Amino acid sequence: MSKILVIADQKDNKIKKSTFEVLSEAKKLADASGSSLEAVILGEAIAQEAKVLAHYGVSKIYTVENSMFKNYLNRPFIDGLKKVIDASSPKLVMVPTSESVKDYLPGLVGATNACGIMDCSAVSLDGGKVQIERPLMAAKAVSKMESSDDLVILSIRSGSFDAVEADTSLSCDIESVDLGTVDIKAVFKELISAQSDRVSLDDANVVIACGRGVKDKSGFELVEKLADVFGAAVGSTRALVENGIAEPSLQVGQTGKVVSPDLYIAVGISGAVQHTAGMSNSKVIVAINKDEEAPIFSLSDYGLVGDLFDIVPKLTEAVKELKAN
Amino acid sequence: MKFFVCCKQVPDVAMAFQIKDGELQKDDLNYVLNAYDASAVEESLVIKDAVSELDLSLVLMGAEKGKEALRKGLAMGANDAFHIEDDAFEGSDSHAAANVLEAFFKDKEYDAILCGKQSQDMDMGLTGGLLAEKLNIPYVTNAVGLEVNEEAKSILVTRQGDAGQEKVELSFPCIVSCSNDMNEPRIPSLRGIMQSKKKPMNKVSVADLGLATDAVGKSGSKSTLLSMDFPKARKAGEKFEGEASELVSTLIDKLTNEAKVL
Ligand SMILES: Cc1cc2nc3c(=O)[nH]c(=O)nc-3n(C[C@H](O)[C@H](O)[C@H](O)COP(=O)(O)OP(=O)(O)OC[C@H]3O[C@@H](n4cnc5c(N)ncnc54)[C@H](O)[C@@H]3O)c2cc1C
Ligand SMILES: Nc1ncnc2c1ncn2[C@@H]1O[C@H](COP(=O)(O)O)[C@@H](O)[C@H]1O
Repeated sequence: MSKILVIADQKDNKIKKSTFEVLSEAKKLADASGSSLEAVILGEAIAQEAKVLAHYGVSKIYTVENSMFKNYLNRPFIDGLKKVIDASSPKLVMVPTSESVKDYLPGLVGATNACGIMDCSAVSLDGGKVQIERPLMAAKAVSKMESSDDLVILSIRSGSFDAVEADTSLSCDIESVDLGTVDIKAVFKELISAQSDRVSLDDANVVIACGRGVKDKSGFELVEKLADVFGAAVGSTRALVENGIAEPSLQVGQTGKVVSPDLYIAVGISGAVQHTAGMSNSKVIVAINKDEEAPIFSLSDYGLVGDLFDIVPKLTEAVKELKAN
Repeated sequence: MKFFVCCKQVPDVAMAFQIKDGELQKDDLNYVLNAYDASAVEESLVIKDAVSELDLSLVLMGAEKGKEALRKGLAMGANDAFHIEDDAFEGSDSHAAANVLEAFFKDKEYDAILCGKQSQDMDMGLTGGLLAEKLNIPYVTNAVGLEVNEEAKSILVTRQGDAGQEKVELSFPCIVSCSNDMNEPRIPSLRGIMQSKKKPMNKVSVADLGLATDAVGKSGSKSTLLSMDFPKARKAGEKFEGEASELVSTLIDKLTNEAKVL
């Protein structure tokens, strides 16, 4: 009998889709190995939202509420999660990957003397061992890894698992954990965020991404219009972020975000490995590129060879018409 | 001020490579200085140009040929390098690397240690934060900008976070893991390359650090790499050429009736 603990990730006190993917897989693993499943959520005001975790078959929920979670710093997360891990004493901890998670997890792994493995795409339990799969070499290869440590902490790549349907009849105990005093040697100064009403890359079912081919801000806006008729998120390559045309938070790839939407449309993107590392797991990939030799065509399901300035406005019109009917 | 940059030598992931019997074929690989570490070196040099008394040292744990990565950093402009070299390092994971780096830094004086946000081959991104926790100093990852305040003995880090760019101030000593979105690393000049050959390359052994050989390499690791493979290739899709309006109606048809995502 061992225990699996899932760390829920939330944004503005709403649990993210990626958390449900991880919970669903963790529940399967728990059932198959006769383990129990618990979850923890940290935030400013998350007591209400925490209940949703029970709908995925969790037997106990820990909440850590504190105003310190308002502006992200790693220390409160490390200390809060260490407390919960000490109380719950799981064998395996799973958490969906995000920029915050990538930041606090190394410290948490150090503080709990655990084995940490980042960005896993598959997990299995074999007796006392945890086995995982994860991409490496800019996602041009996958590796199998294993750990027999007493405590293994894994971050999970988004889109690796399907979220099951929530069972709203389920409920469980909720224990509130006091964060206590945190010795913070860092000061949060400022958040520079480009607020946008558009759906975020993390939660999007459709991503319209653009690269250097869009040339300038007006080309970028053409793609934004296409994204709006799809209700899609906008993504970008590093080339446009470097030029200041796209917001840094839109970067998809090895340095940027990993996304796996149902539909990914790559507009004016060559398909460098550092970019495809972040999107090759998308369900359907469309590429629009005027160079028929562009590497992006080797992984696209549908490739349109042509000028994006001709194609994108027409596609926008066509989708708009389709959605209107 | 005193900065260290932790440098790793990694295979060039842009190149084609072979996997045989679950193992990466190492002989054909071309090794480079990890791009994220090169950005950490670059950012230090920018600070060095502004604050002339910044002393910049590099440290690398790894095989003999790792010295080429250190030479690159020296040619870019770092003052000296420490090469912690031992055959026992083969098979190290981030935990083992952090063990060795902790032993190295234990008795060193420094204001900041810069790491890369991840190694290009493993994309793990654990070493910097682990090391900070072991040294009991604060850290920030995914830095895209740095400003040092020498008088306040602090560093203002801009990091790419979930909600946008977060500005966080850390007091010295601290660890910052750097993104390559921070800068474009300089290409060493011919003069830099010549000078690098005269710069100190200090060899350090596991014994020098007072580490037992079982604290490093495979036995110092908490995870084991069992095997590698190529991912299931995506099926080669269809490619369409022609008039823009034709291409659009073909795509709409495919997305609606075949892929069923519309
Ligand atoms: C360590 C490291 C990490 C990196 N991380 C990332 C990352 O996270 N994300 C990322 O994206 N990149 C990353 N990169 C950069 C990556 O290597 C590529 O340089 C980048 O992805 C190229 O962007 P692009 O496809 O927009 O530009 P390009 O490679 O210049 O491609 C532009 C494409 O647009 C097409 N085009 C031009 N005009 C038109 C037109 N009118 N109509 C249609 N098509 C047109 C061209 O045919 C071409 O294929 C990283 C690099 C390194 C070294
Ligand atoms: N063997 C090593 N020697 C020196 N620094 C290292 C070593 N391994 C990792 N690092 C540092 O830690 C960062 C992250 O590595 P990783 O945790 O392997 O992704 C790298 O970018 C380096 O700055």
